[in-house]
Amino acid sequence: MLRLRLGFVVIAMVLSVFGARLVQLQGIDPKAYAKMAAAEGVVEVVLPAERGDILDRNGVPLADSVAGKMVVADPKMTHDDANDLARLLATELGVDYFSTLEKLREDDSRFEYVARRVPSTQATDVVAQVDALGFKGITTREDPVRDYPADEVAANVLGFMGTDEALGGFERTFDAHLAGTDGHARYTEGRGYRVPLGENSTIGAVDGSPLRTTIDRDLQWFSEKVLQETLDSYRAGSGAVVVLDTRTGETLALADGPTFDPNHPLDFPKDDLGSRALNEPYEPGSVQKVLTVASLIDAGKVTARTKIKVPPSLDRQDRSIGDWFPHGDIKLTLAGVIAKSSNIGTVLAADAFTPPQLTDYLEQFGLGARTDVGVRGETRGILTSGGAMTSQTKDRVAFGQSLSVNTLQMAAAVNTIANGGVRIDPSLVRGRAVTDDGTEVGTDTATERRVVSEKAAHQTMLMMERVVDDEVGVAPAAQVPGYRVAGKTGTAQRVDPECGCYDGSNSVSFAGFAPADDPRFTVYVVVHDPKVDGGGGSIGGPAFSRIMGYALGRYRVPPTGTRPSRLPVEW
Amino acid sequence: MSSPAVQLRSRVASIGEAAVERARLTVVPRARVRAPRIPFVTLVSVVLLGGVIGLLMFNTSMQQASFYAGDLEERATTMAAREQTLRRELDALRSPQRIAEQAQRMGMVVPAAPAFLGLDGTVTGTPTPAVPDDALQLTRRPDAKPAHLNPPATIVEVPATPPATAQAAPAAGVAKAKRR
Repeated sequence: MLRLRLGFVVIAMVLSVFGARLVQLQGIDPKAYAKMAAAEGVVEVVLPAERGDILDRNGVPLADSVAGKMVVADPKMTHDDANDLARLLATELGVDYFSTLEKLREDDSRFEYVARRVPSTQATDVVAQVDALGFKGITTREDPVRDYPADEVAANVLGFMGTDEALGGFERTFDAHLAGTDGHARYTEGRGYRVPLGENSTIGAVDGSPLRTTIDRDLQWFSEKVLQETLDSYRAGSGAVVVLDTRTGETLALADGPTFDPNHPLDFPKDDLGSRALNEPYEPGSVQKVLTVASLIDAGKVTARTKIKVPPSLDRQDRSIGDWFPHGDIKLTLAGVIAKSSNIGTVLAADAFTPPQLTDYLEQFGLGARTDVGVRGETRGILTSGGAMTSQTKDRVAFGQSLSVNTLQMAAAVNTIANGGVRIDPSLVRGRAVTDDGTEVGTDTATERRVVSEKAAHQTMLMMERVVDDEVGVAPAAQVPGYRVAGKTGTAQRVDPECGCYDGSNSVSFAGFAPADDPRFTVYVVVHDPKVDGGGGSIGGPAFSRIMGYALGRYRVPPTGTRPSRLPVEW
Repeated sequence: MSSPAVQLRSRVASIGEAAVERARLTVVPRARVRAPRIPFVTLVSVVLLGGVIGLLMFNTSMQQASFYAGDLEERATTMAAREQTLRRELDALRSPQRIAEQAQRMGMVVPAAPAFLGLDGTVTGTPTPAVPDDALQLTRRPDAKPAHLNPPATIVEVPATPPATAQAAPAAGVAKAKRR
């Protein structure tokens, strides 16, 4: 009897211990224990979304994402072999030996990045080597790499990526479009394999969408090379080339120089990482005369044959206006004023306009307003409003000083003449896309508006053809053999932004289109601060000719076979 | 007339007797049928064992499949990475810069302007021969040296008429100086 009782007591004691434990587990903090149980063997991995490619107009990738890995270390496991491991990692991955050594010996840490964005095969090879040598604690995780297969091509438009975020250009502007959403997977793992019937949940990654640009990669490359050659030959500070499809306003090439390699953005000066073509305003110089003259013809104030007596210099209110070439009293037609690029002739012709009339036209041409093609930090240029403009300012604006533009603005304005007087918004993105500040851009949102009549545009074209004439023009170097070319040179003094004065350097440019009587392309070349003497015709002309010749050949545009304009330049 | 009644009575009596006879119950010895136990135990054991072994095998095969899936996944990842590496190589080979460099080494240049040859032999445009001058500058020129590393050439002015004393030999000397 006693034994039985003792037995019961023992059982009761044991049961109450169980009971107490049960209360402890379930009553006091059940969640923490449930978590601990779940954590045992459960791994959680991020499934990185693939960043969308940036494509050229033909679908060739300008920027693409490739599978990459991050190499991570668990210092608790690597602490003892840190020296050998650091040496191996430094040789294989090109990371800094000393900082790696420090990371591998970090106290109180179980996770350190050794290298980010390593190509997949390279990372796997390194880990295989580490395993083969018997070391532990080095693993890899998914970490896609951004690659720019054509290196520098279109870099100034594309921008570049930092380790984790987009830092410039389209990469940043269209980050939301390109980035996608990462997914997650949670599963029970044993010896590197998923345990079936264990915890298993996957939320798939949503890849980013590709962004299709209007850029033609090969034409862009060619333009960049020609621009770089020009900058080198004339020891110029910077420059830009724009190639527009005349009919659609699509930007086939937007070259900036000096440029950079987006695969290694840190190796280049910070100033070269943006798009100067759109970010830096400058005075367009005589290319502007084309817009003034087209407006005057549209308003019925002049014709291409209007006779103008051009004095050696023209005294206006506060200063005298001169021409770039010395001359006595000469008799030029308006076509001659354009062909010889006479400031005085343009000012005299523009006297028919009041300042508001002139600025209204220039605004219609798109000056003073951003093109909104999606490039960050675009300048709107400076165009004084008509009401506030003095007659002296108007005189200078008429031949392209005292106002400033960006390269694409000016190219689009000249393209208006090429397109029969209808301005079409330039675009850099095919279809439509939303920028980070919420603007919708792209070919689908481009609009058209008539600025000058078709007749005015045609007459302006005929005058511009005289610019590249061997005998009467100032830019025979801009000819493209076999084609009719219309164009206009520009030379303008450059403004030093610090003092707000002209600093003695020049911006030379050439804008034109071909075939003149049925234009397909508008090419605009700007060279800033050349150290070798030259003007828009001699510096910009040859670059224009090469790029235009290449574009015409690439798009198989045959010559029209008509005779070029023979407008008289003198009377 | 009486005979049918007698007949009836006797029949009733005989039925009653039979019923009485039938109704007299007797105790029957209990028939104890012992069902054989072994088949049942075997069946249960087999089911149980089969279940356990089946479950084990099912689990093992699932694990096996998971290993296989894991291996296949890893292979797929490796192959995808390999494919991408190859694609990158291809992209590098296709890069306009590389093609231009190679073409230019082979003596090919981009012509200044195209000319078109029709099927009937007509030529549109102005055919211009490609010349070495059409070659593009493919790499950036190195930056100019600073002035102190690039001193201006020293120019020695030599009188146009050599002194009368020396005739032939100094003339050669003049030519040399000029060349330099």
